[in-house]
Amino acid sequence: MREKVFVALVAVALGFSLNRIGFSSWDEVHAMFLFSDLRLFLTFASAVGFLAVAWIAVRRVSRPRWAPRPIHRGTVLGGALFGLGWAIAGACPAVALVQIGEGQLGALFTLGGVLLGNLVYSVVHERWLRWDTARCDT
Amino acid sequence: MTERWPFWAGGLALAGVMLLHWLTVHRMMSVSSRFSAVVDRVRWGRAEPVEALSPEELREALLAATQAEAGVGVPAPPASLPVPQEGIRPPQPVSTHLLFLGGLGVGGLLGATLSGTFSVTTLLRSSELEALAGGSGPGQAALLVGGGALVGFGTRMAGGCTSGHGLCGVSRLQPGSLLATAAFFGVGVAVSFALAGLT
Repeated sequence: MREKVFVALVAVALGFSLNRIGFSSWDEVHAMFLFSDLRLFLTFASAVGFLAVAWIAVRRVSRPRWAPRPIHRGTVLGGALFGLGWAIAGACPAVALVQIGEGQLGALFTLGGVLLGNLVYSVVHERWLRWDTARCDT
Repeated sequence: MTERWPFWAGGLALAGVMLLHWLTVHRMMSVSSRFSAVVDRVRWGRAEPVEALSPEELREALLAATQAEAGVGVPAPPASLPVPQEGIRPPQPVSTHLLFLGGLGVGGLLGATLSGTFSVTTLLRSSELEALAGGSGPGQAALLVGGGALVGFGTRMAGGCTSGHGLCGVSRLQPGSLLATAAFFGVGVAVSFALAGLT
């Protein structure tokens, strides 16, 4: 129960932040990709910088068991296909839901697409590929 | 255009959210993994909790999973090999994943309402996407479904998205995350320039 409360709070905070940053706006994401407005790039880069410092602090006080994220055969192609989809739909997985919350109901199509693509990959992976993609959430 | 957070405030907020997720949920934030878990739950149904399995059943399940991943030729481990008891963390129930995904929507609703930008539109509020779709609603829907499918397929293939690879992986200098992030930002830039040339 405690975990569910934390998960919900973190998710609301992430959705709120993505909205206030502008990551949920198709036009602003494209202004980033076209380098016509560098604010979103700088937002992302500064988040990475702040996080790197935070992880150093976490390591100082505890010994977290973090799964390594090695390069595997799906890293480049998967990342590239994601980049292609992000540029077309203007949404990473989290943003599709944020857009729906903002009343941009067209993002329901994006959400359906994300679920469909995820399902198709899971089938393709089992039938033909079977490499280890490692996991993010450990 | 409404007032946006300056980049350092946005960066601080995103980093704070990722850190808070680790500190309170004890897992790295990964939005695409939650999508995968929901999809797997729909495909395979409810998984048996690990605690309910005997060591023999756990051994068989581990062997089946290994063979599913690496091929059926993999031999069974000797019975003397102990089954790992520690380090197996039960996956979160699907209700937790749905709570997270719903929370993202509530966050978007809050942000839009508090900034006075909430309104319900059947399409995305984007003049450029509208131009790209030639002003047609079904055209925009097709672009969103197709783009979304590429996002879902690619993130599962790469094993992460903007949160797991882009923020949490890159900030820990993980090689797979650095390469995946370079790939999705690089292709995003290239495709956006191509799309801008089309309209």
